Amino acid sequence: MPATRLRTLQALGIFCGFAAGAWLGGAEAPIKLVNPDISPITVSLIMVFGVFLARWSVPAFVRGTSHVRNDVRQAPHLIVWAVLAGCMWAVANTLTIYAIRNVGLSIAFPLWNTNSLLGIFWGFLLFNELHYAGWKRWLGVLGGAVCMFGGATLLAIASAHQATPGKATLGVLAALGAGILWGTMYIPYRKAYLTGMNPLSFITFFTVGEIVTMTGLAVSYRGATPLWHELVGAKSVMFWLMLGGFVWVIGDLFQQYATKYVGISRGIPLSNTNQLWGLLWGIFVFHELRGGGQTLYAQVAGGSLLMALGAVAIALSSATAREHASWQDAADREGQRYGVEGEYVRAGMEGRATPSAEIQGRGLPADPNARTLLDWLLILVTTGLFATLAVMARLPHIDIALGWAIALTMAMLALLATCAAALWRTTRFR
Amino acid sequence: MSMSKGHRSRNMFHAIATDLHFWIPFAVLLGGLFLLDKLR
Repeated sequence: MPATRLRTLQALGIFCGFAAGAWLGGAEAPIKLVNPDISPITVSLIMVFGVFLARWSVPAFVRGTSHVRNDVRQAPHLIVWAVLAGCMWAVANTLTIYAIRNVGLSIAFPLWNTNSLLGIFWGFLLFNELHYAGWKRWLGVLGGAVCMFGGATLLAIASAHQATPGKATLGVLAALGAGILWGTMYIPYRKAYLTGMNPLSFITFFTVGEIVTMTGLAVSYRGATPLWHELVGAKSVMFWLMLGGFVWVIGDLFQQYATKYVGISRGIPLSNTNQLWGLLWGIFVFHELRGGGQTLYAQVAGGSLLMALGAVAIALSSATAREHASWQDAADREGQRYGVEGEYVRAGMEGRATPSAEIQGRGLPADPNARTLLDWLLILVTTGLFATLAVMARLPHIDIALGWAIALTMAMLALLATCAAALWRTTRFR
Repeated sequence: MSMSKGHRSRNMFHAIATDLHFWIPFAVLLGGLFLLDKLR
């Protein structure tokens, strides 16, 4: 790959990581609007309904589902990996509900964001990341990781003040469990992107794992009939939960592009800046930590800052051409193991079209970006469903700062627009 | 001559089953389910 292209893709991946942070951080906010009487499992299930709709309608809107069929023909094994990752996501997401309930949004976030440490470990061990990176990059990544761990510890100490008595340990365990699941979930992500798959294709199968696991968990934990009654009773908050799921998917999509272009050891810490966005939502919009002493504020702010500094240090240690060549070795290994065409793998890594697929038009429409009837149907059904739920939704009586909520939403939308434009210009969302 | 669909599928599942990368996330998933069961 030409050096200029490599630099462009690295910069794009870093930008995607920051955009992911904003959207992943904002996604947890709607959960705070929901009555705590609803079971966490049901909350998670409803969120996953929103996630499922988003994971099919967003790819249909962005590129059309014809590309998904082409990706599956090239690398069918990735369906298994995507479903596995989806199962992990569903379990981790359910754990975060317990974590938020027990220790609060501003505390739970940084704890499960320790997943980046695990991501660095797996990236190095399994996918040749940070190989031939030089001592400066190693220092950046390891120093950043230590900073993040320190920040997480500081926030865990603060949780003892913030949480309901007796619930802090459970909340911390749930948040850390989610971190381990998410950190390991990046193994399938990296497998997919090293083999050239488009993130928009990966998430459509990923969500099958999510919804099957979540439905299984909900039915077995709650029982089919009580679950149904709870779902019917939750219709006034269903919009907020599904919106949370939808927003999460946009963040996750940016995270997938970050993982694709800068690897998991850099992509995850970058998207973990969602912790700062979570803190902004928690403190300014939902007045979390109100009434806490100066020490509590100092612990939470200091811990968060430390984690963010660690993430920045990791982000600045971008991959060199030599390190990127070792990624290529890992990609070749994957290609050989699963019998994927070399040209497809290389084109995927470089974010360009696969000539054999697009020139010969294997199952793709004449205009590669054309939408089929299925695409429009997916978009229409999702829009209609969200509109209906919005009409039924009730804003709970909760003290929120609307001005701050609008300001943060506008900032997220600005990031979405600029990052999507950059992705389109550079890779056509490949 | 191209491989039959069945043969290709068998090869694919064999490649996945003998890939250590598969068993790591699978084991973590089981651990997560266990933790969730303890928390509920």
